[in-house]
Amino acid sequence: MNGEIFVALMLVAAEGAVMLLLPHYSPRRFLFAVTVTPGFRTSEPARDTLRRYYRELAGVMAVSALAVVLLQARPELAFGLGAGLPPVAGMAAYLRERAVVRRLMGPPTDVREAELTPEDDHLPAWFRLAIPPFAFPAAAALYLRSHWEQIPARIPVHWNFNGPDRWADKSVQSVYGTLLLAEGIMLLILLLTLGMFYGARRGPQRKAILQIIVAAIYLMSCIFSLLGVQTVFGFAPWWIFVPVIGFLLFAIPWTYRLVHELPGEQTPDECWYWGQVYVNRQDPAIFVQRRVGFGYTFNLGNPWAWIILGAFFAATLTLILVLK
Amino acid sequence: MPKIQIDLKSPVAAYRQIVDQLRVLLVEGELPPGNDLPSVRRLALDLGVHFNTVGEAYRELAEEGWLDLRHGRGAKVIERGVPATAAPERLKEFRAQLRNLVAQMRAAGVSPAKIAAELRAAVEGLQS
Repeated sequence: MNGEIFVALMLVAAEGAVMLLLPHYSPRRFLFAVTVTPGFRTSEPARDTLRRYYRELAGVMAVSALAVVLLQARPELAFGLGAGLPPVAGMAAYLRERAVVRRLMGPPTDVREAELTPEDDHLPAWFRLAIPPFAFPAAAALYLRSHWEQIPARIPVHWNFNGPDRWADKSVQSVYGTLLLAEGIMLLILLLTLGMFYGARRGPQRKAILQIIVAAIYLMSCIFSLLGVQTVFGFAPWWIFVPVIGFLLFAIPWTYRLVHELPGEQTPDECWYWGQVYVNRQDPAIFVQRRVGFGYTFNLGNPWAWIILGAFFAATLTLILVLK
Repeated sequence: MPKIQIDLKSPVAAYRQIVDQLRVLLVEGELPPGNDLPSVRRLALDLGVHFNTVGEAYRELAEEGWLDLRHGRGAKVIERGVPATAAPERLKEFRAQLRNLVAQMRAAGVSPAKIAAELRAAVEGLQS
């Protein structure tokens, strides 16, 4: 078995695990992203929907793995199938069971509650910890400047399974580009996080997501800074998967626990499309809590959501084009 | 901290539900004079309703003398003088509302004794 096929099979397994987790990675008040009554999750009809979902998912995984093995001669196709089939077919099974739960639950009530607290709506002081990581790429750039002579004339800028596959001539852009890109992306993430904090309803999930984002900014800053200086040290970039996997191994169980412990935000069921996309013109919130997984998503019924999304993509595209 | 709850599927307008619940909290002393209420924007966001819905509710309570609205900020609960006696027309209006409420309770199967007990408890709650 070659490397690509092994990675494709691993991808099938990882995506299968994520899809398996999907109905459970959600606040207790929801099942398949539908508001359910207390106790419904443990009822027989709810167990039936879960059993059907697992059966369909098992079938999807088996077909995907078999297809990857049979297509060994065409690794790109095998890889594409391994990456694409489980989420697409798994999501179809998820949506079928979501429709069943919606029929079982009937029209939901739409009762909202708010605390009458005038408490100031300020970012927690510890959020300032998101600022120091901006110094890491800057420090890496200073290091590169002082070791300019040690940087080879051609430096790798892209890698595949077998090592570097694209090179660039040594220049200010090719040497410092990664670091500038990191600074730009981190700044955009920080701005998006501020938008999320002030554009979402008050709730404990809001502060928890800030903690995750601060940790993610540190991780991103370290990885990009080390990637930037690898031109001097010449080490393979595969090691970046180690902290990323470490971060995921910490973040997924932590957020999985929080999702069950913290109250899920109440939003109208009929405004959720496929359980993932929220569109509600009556709701002034720009960001709402996701029903599946941990975090926030845009309220696409709010024009500000489109403005922020547009600005984010335009800024990302500009960064990439300028630094390419 | 007191809370309010609104039902967006109720035939009663959201702004009316906010006004009624806030007035109960104000009359019962749950929101004493000097207390700050959340800003219009924040309460609207938390309840998932339009800013104007909360703005209208706050304005109505300000006109009744319960709140002081400060431009661009929240609302402050103020001391409100209670009239010695209600005007006869207002009393007639309240009587009609009470009869309507009692009729609804009877229609829903609540016994007259239970209705009387509920009314007594509500009045005692206001006096305490």
